[in-house]
Amino acid sequence: MSAQPAVAVPRAEPRIDPVLLLAYIVMAAILAALAIFAAGTDGFFTMDNYRAILTQSAYVGVFAVATAIIMISGNLFSLSLSVTGAVTATSALALLPHGAFVAIVGTILFGAAIFAAQGFLIGAFGANPIIVSIAAGGLQEGIFLWRTHGATIVPPPGNTDFAFLTKVIDVPVIGKLPLAVFVLFGLVIALEVVLRRTRFGRALYLVGENRVAAHAAGIPTGWVIVGAFAIVGLCVGIAGVELGAFNGSGSLLVGSTFTYDGIAAAVVGGVAITGGRGAVWQALAGAIFIQAVSDMLLLRGYTQGSQILVKGIIVLLTVIFMRLYQTRSQR
Amino acid sequence: MSSLLVTLRHRSHLVRPFVLLGVLFVVFLLLPILHPGSTVGTVNFKTVLEILASLGLVTLALGLTMIAGEFDLSVSSTFLLGGMLAVQTGTHSPVGGALVAVGVGLVVGIAQGLLITKLKINSMAVTLGGFIALLGLVFVISGSNSVRYGNAAVGDRLDQPILGIFSVRIFIAIAIFVVIAAIFMATTLGRDLRAAGSDRKASRVAGVRVPLLIVGVFALSAMLASFAGALQGYSLGFAAPDQSVAPLIFATTATLLGGVPLSGGRGNPLGIAAGVLSLALVTEAIPILHSAEYVNSLVPALLLLIVVLVDAPYVLRWWKVLKARRGSRPGLRGADPGAAAPAAD
Repeated sequence: MSAQPAVAVPRAEPRIDPVLLLAYIVMAAILAALAIFAAGTDGFFTMDNYRAILTQSAYVGVFAVATAIIMISGNLFSLSLSVTGAVTATSALALLPHGAFVAIVGTILFGAAIFAAQGFLIGAFGANPIIVSIAAGGLQEGIFLWRTHGATIVPPPGNTDFAFLTKVIDVPVIGKLPLAVFVLFGLVIALEVVLRRTRFGRALYLVGENRVAAHAAGIPTGWVIVGAFAIVGLCVGIAGVELGAFNGSGSLLVGSTFTYDGIAAAVVGGVAITGGRGAVWQALAGAIFIQAVSDMLLLRGYTQGSQILVKGIIVLLTVIFMRLYQTRSQR
Repeated sequence: MSSLLVTLRHRSHLVRPFVLLGVLFVVFLLLPILHPGSTVGTVNFKTVLEILASLGLVTLALGLTMIAGEFDLSVSSTFLLGGMLAVQTGTHSPVGGALVAVGVGLVVGIAQGLLITKLKINSMAVTLGGFIALLGLVFVISGSNSVRYGNAAVGDRLDQPILGIFSVRIFIAIAIFVVIAAIFMATTLGRDLRAAGSDRKASRVAGVRVPLLIVGVFALSAMLASFAGALQGYSLGFAAPDQSVAPLIFATTATLLGGVPLSGGRGNPLGIAAGVLSLALVTEAIPILHSAEYVNSLVPALLLLIVVLVDAPYVLRWWKVLKARRGSRPGLRGADPGAAAPAAD
């Protein structure tokens, strides 16, 4: 910066926008209040409780990660994640007589196929992702009820092939955690590598940020979206296998709140709903944060209703804060 | 041929909802002939019209925001909240209870509208937060339990059949649709709303007060949804907290059938009413035909899939590419977002 002494230099603008500063203060105050609240909650800062939070995040975390991929690809979110979760949980149990390997691989591929088909409609035809997801949810519900006649699917009596999926693993220092937690963290690491280190990953961010520009740059945008949705389906299929093994029965009621919990977690983690920004680990962080707050409310004896209410308020505050940060921090 | 197809695709949206409703109405009347053993009576028509008074108003609420190019995900929670508030506060004065519901809806709608316009936040993000928070609020004020309405006479009066297929509740709903449609046609509001939905910048340059309009439409949306909830609560005699998104799915499907695309900028309240009645006829036909439960989710989903593909911007281009290449696969590169998007009209 060269000085221009002859001209009256205007007062340098403050580095931080006052509104943004206020937002930071409010955010810090809320986090501090939460921390104080947590400190006053019996049994919150204990290893047992950390493990409980991680365990409860294991399934919703997978749905959060799946939502993050959809959001990054610029396709908002899917309203049929939990339906597919229930469908794949049931298919895992229905395939169990053919052996655990067939059941697991078949179910994960089944999930991938369900979502890849939706990705095709969105990527190739430009169909609206929200509507496609609603229609896909209705179709899956209908076909599910048709095939199962509304009955609950249970594994063959005495079959323990899925028992290993519900095992707890003893880790030094941390203690015993269910396999699902390790699956979730493994999935997040694998997806981070795919998104950051592969051509596909970079293409996905560009498509999400600006589909027209990505197309102009020679990226096959349609295939990238199909690929992204296939990954989403893989995640949901994995969650489905775990849910099937954990619940030991498959019905449409399995995890009916996962769709919104997953979306809320991705938003709270800071993944941009409009596409092209955010990371998979942020969705995981969001899921754990929401779970920690819910856990604290639960420990204090608050009802399910207040947990949902607080979750909604956290989503709103995050959305507002993210927006202020985006628009005002660059000035 | 293809130019005719293009014309049909771009100009048919005004009549499409009414043609669909007409066809479905005829099929509905012919059900006893198509499927011997089933009967269609006045009670079926009353049920269809009652849907106009419950989910129909929720659809109008969502549809108005969709015309403006936004999307109010929170309508299904506002619907529940309106019912819960009215049932809890309206025992002595049903009108008072409905006013409480509508008043809270007004506050909710203005708050969401201000966040969307002042901070320019995506309306899906804002109303997602609203959806979850309001759902939680419904669970909190009801103690997670179903709440009975203490004045059962109100529901009886609202649902007493008039002329066989109508009732006071249905007349209220029809009046709301007619008044909003009349405002759409008689004033510039409808045109402004469509303009804001199709090209925000251009409409602002043309003098449309976009922020005010958006706040207004979200306020109206929340008031309509919570009023529909109040009517529903009085009619059923109870209100229950429920995590289901079925109202939202019904409203989205019916809005799309009613000629409002997700991209906004098109549609009107009468088309939305036609969309609601079409979907209501479909859902009412299922019990008449004694069909299995699964048909209930399958048929609307298939309808939705057809509508979304008809409206998908690159389908026509795909068809052309396929024809030009005669058998060779077009590949997904053919989906060109820039070149194929139809001009918004």
